[in-house]
This record gives sequence, structure tokens and C-alpha cells, in this order.
Amino acid sequence: MSDEVTIARTSTTTREAITLATEVRRATLVLAASAIVGALALPWLSASYATTLAIEIMIAGIFASGINLLVGATGLVSLGQGMFLGLGGYGIGIGTTVLGLPLWLSVPGTLVVVAIMAAGIGAVCTRTRGVEFLLITLAFSQMFFGSAIKLRLTNGSDGMSGIPRPDLTFLGLNGDNPVVFYYYVLVVTVVAVAAMWRIVESPFGSVLAAIRESERRASAMGYAVSSYKVGAFIIAAVTCAVAGILQSQYTYFINPDSMSWQLSGEGVLMVIIGGTTTVVGPLVGAAVFVLAKQGLSILTTEYMMFFGIFFMLVVAFFRNGVVEALKSALWSKP
Amino acid sequence: MSALEARNLHKRFGGLEVISNLNLTVPPGQRRAVIGPNGAGKTTFINLVTGWLSPTSGNVLVDGHAVAGRPEKVTRSGIARSFQRNMLLEDLTVVENLRVACQAFHPCRRVFWRSKRAFATVIEKAERAAERMHLTDILEVPAKHLSYGQKRQLEVALALCAEPKILLMDEPAAGTSPQERARLIDLINGLPRDITILLVEHDMDVVFATCDLITVLSYGKVLATGTRREIQDDPTVMEAYLGHRHAGD
Repeated sequence: MSDEVTIARTSTTTREAITLATEVRRATLVLAASAIVGALALPWLSASYATTLAIEIMIAGIFASGINLLVGATGLVSLGQGMFLGLGGYGIGIGTTVLGLPLWLSVPGTLVVVAIMAAGIGAVCTRTRGVEFLLITLAFSQMFFGSAIKLRLTNGSDGMSGIPRPDLTFLGLNGDNPVVFYYYVLVVTVVAVAAMWRIVESPFGSVLAAIRESERRASAMGYAVSSYKVGAFIIAAVTCAVAGILQSQYTYFINPDSMSWQLSGEGVLMVIIGGTTTVVGPLVGAAVFVLAKQGLSILTTEYMMFFGIFFMLVVAFFRNGVVEALKSALWSKP
Repeated sequence: MSALEARNLHKRFGGLEVISNLNLTVPPGQRRAVIGPNGAGKTTFINLVTGWLSPTSGNVLVDGHAVAGRPEKVTRSGIARSFQRNMLLEDLTVVENLRVACQAFHPCRRVFWRSKRAFATVIEKAERAAERMHLTDILEVPAKHLSYGQKRQLEVALALCAEPKILLMDEPAAGTSPQERARLIDLINGLPRDITILLVEHDMDVVFATCDLITVLSYGKVLATGTRREIQDDPTVMEAYLGHRHAGD
């Protein structure tokens, strides 16, 4: 085969790849738009049960998105993101009920404190990678879990109650109304996922991808790898804290369980189920996770066993997650 | 002043001295080949220059100053390297590999609130780098799907994105086809003459076609430095490569 033929063939492949990419992008926009329209219409279409489930899915989805910035974008598997979920909830809990600050001060204050703490914790954790990273993040989260149980400030293992929902009276709305709270969570979710998409597609995000692919090459290119990893760690922590704030507002309550390693592990499961390669993957993973758990728990009290089997099947049949499987099913050539 | 200088360089791994009292001076703009039998310490020397290893004793000086500690700092100070074993961003496309490499020297590299597509100068630079390395037709192909030879080309292209003053290449021709080697020779000879090049290579055609001077390493020491003819006629070099008895024949 001559060189010209090879080149002609490769450029056809390139052109096909570009056309396919444009098609995928267009379809993604259509899907995203219909998802948002569907989400907006949900409270009118269905019973309050569906709205409740949707709130849980969205909060879990934000949490999983934060985890995915480390797992999928940077290649660092953390088993300690629950600590930031908990810190978010405890942050506004302490801000509003102990310090008596208004919510509009407690929320940004909490996020700033979480970011500072994440910078310190991240500086230590990101010196390791692989299993060591997983274990050191787990160790940090267990430390916070232990503190939350023991501290009198946070009411020990009983947790803190009376965490307020946003005051939306200036809009003529009542935040305690489930439908209003649903829209509030929806707005935060859309903003969080859009922000995550922007970050992954940014120059900073491309450095994270380089680190995931080859940390040594990223260094050789001239990137101070550790500072980018700490940056990703901070953004992931703040995102998880946002989920924690919403969670505590949703239940008006926060207790040490939100910092447990089980919760961190569930977040990683959601990421794996949905797939790490897209920003909607974690959201879809959260939906599959929450719905499967709910569905199975209706059918049987031993739902955890079946959930384990379900998870194994998902991993076995959708290697790169549900979203990638759907993509290849939609665009595979006949 | 020399562009690159090794002064009484030692590197020991446990009981094994891989670099032992190495002294080497490369003047600016020179193309220097470093050859030697396997285990002579060639790659270790590149690792010492580029901050991947620190010397047990001795110094590496660039423009008369000690090299900056960590690899990324060395790269930012104008010294780039290619690796003996391909180290690519495998899941990313060719153009994205090059774009990320070029982006390292653009102030946008820490920007997380804008799309990477907004920085056209970086993309243009990546496309020019691809053109120089004959990679234009495979820009959108993920690096993992490239042929071995194409991967070698991308490996060198990534190092060149740093626009280095000193370029260290670790066996760039290893495993490539004759056409790819010819392209590599053209590429090296086409680089601006003010770039100092240190080439570690086993392929003597590439060495002879591109380098002014050859340094032979053996057991971590400089055995000889000279032109092609001088090296070919040097009995100690023959001995190092072929063994005592053959060299005497």
C-alpha cells in the first residue's frame, strides 16, 4: 500500500471522527435540553414521591461529580470525599445554629473554610497515588468522622438538627415546600454540572487529563504536577461540600454518618456505574444507584445482596459505565 | 561558556556506581551524540541532567549554573527531553497531546473558567508542531492507536513543544522504519542551529548524519570524545564494544 493511500485513508478516518464528534455534541445538547425540560416539568407530572427521589438523585449526583473530578479527570481514586460532604453540612450547621449567622453568610463561609481545609489535606494526600492515595484520604475522613462523634460542639453522634433551608420569601416562595426546594436543588445541580463541564474542558482540566494519562510526561512538559492535583482536590472538596449543604438542608439535619467511609464508597460506585469519561456520567450513575436501591428495597428487605449483584452486572456489561454504553449503542454502525 | 557541563558526576544505586566521575562539556549549538554499550549510563546521564535523578556527587551545569532541581523546573529553564520508552498521553488525540505540551508555556495553563478552545495561539502552535513532525494527517487519532514509529515521532514532537535551548533525545530512532529514520535525520538537521542537542542513539546512521562530535560512555565514564573518524579508529572504543580479544584482532 502506498503512502498516499495510507494518508488518504487516515484523513477519511479523521474526518469521520470529527463528523461523529459533532453529531455526538449536537445529540448531547438535545439530550441535556430535554433532561432540563423534563426536570422542570417533573413536579407537575408526578407524585411527590418522584420529586423526593429526584432531589436525592441530584444531591448524590453533585457529590459524585465532585468525586469524578478526582477519579475520572485526574485519575486519583479517593475514598474520603464523604468528609467534605459532612464538612459542608456541619459547616452550615455550626454557622446557623451555633454561631447564629444567616444562611447567606454561612454557606459561602463554609465553602471557603472547606477550600482552605482541602488545600491542607490535599497537599498531604496528593503526595501519594494509587492505593496509597485511596488509603490516606480514607484515613483523613475517618479522623473527621471520629471527631464528629466525639465533639460536643457538633452534638456528638446525635448530630445537629434545625438546619435551615434557604429563605426565598423575597421571591414569594417558601423553601420548606418540597416543590420549591426541588427547584432550588435543580438550579444548584445545573450550575454545578455546568461548572464541572467547563473545568474539565478548560486548560486546567486538560492538565488534569495529562496527569491522569502520564504524570511523568506532564512533569516533563513543564507542569508543576502537585499544585494541579491540589487544585483538583480543592474543587472536588468544594463540590462535595455543596452536596453536603443541600443534603443537610433537605433533611434539616446532619450527623456523623455523612462522613462515613460507606458514603464515600457509594459515591465512587456511582461514578463507576455512570462512567468517568463524561460530566453527566456521575449524575446518571447517581440516578441508577438511587433508583436501583429504592426499587430493590420495595421488592425485598435483603435488597443489599441484590444490589451487590446488580452492581456486578453493571460493571461486567458496561465496562466504561452506563453513559459510554448508551453512546456506543446509539452511534455504533450497523 | 559551555551550554551543558558535567563536572565530576557520580551516581550510585546502592552498591552499583552507574555514573562514575563523568566529565563532559558541550558548547552551545553543538550536536553531540552519546553512545556506548548497554548499561554504560547514557539514560542515567539524561535523567541526571533533566532532574529525574539527583547526583550522588558532582554537578550538572547549564550555562554555568547548576540545573534547577525538579523535572518541570528543568523543562521551564529551557531543557527538554524525549524518553527512551514512549511516554504519551495515550487516551488523548495527537493534537491534544501537542496542545497540552504547548500550553505549559502559555499563561492560560491555570485557567479553569474558560474553554481550552478559546486560546487559539496554543492550538496553532500545536498544529505547527504536528506539521513539522509530519503528524498533520493523524491529528484527531488517539495516541494509543498510532503505529510505533508514529508514536516515536510524537514523543520527539512533545519535547520540541517546549522550544528548548537544549534538547536531549533518548534513542529517538529505536524501533522506527528506514523512512521514519530519514525523516528524523531531516528533522534534527532542520532544527535551528542555536539549539544544543545531546543525542543518545544506537543507530549509527542517525548519529553520523546529525552529530558534530561523539562521546563514548562505558561503565559510567567518558571513554573517548571525537569525530566519527577519531572514534572509529580508537582502540579503547573497539575494546569497550567488542571485548578485549576481538579488539586485538
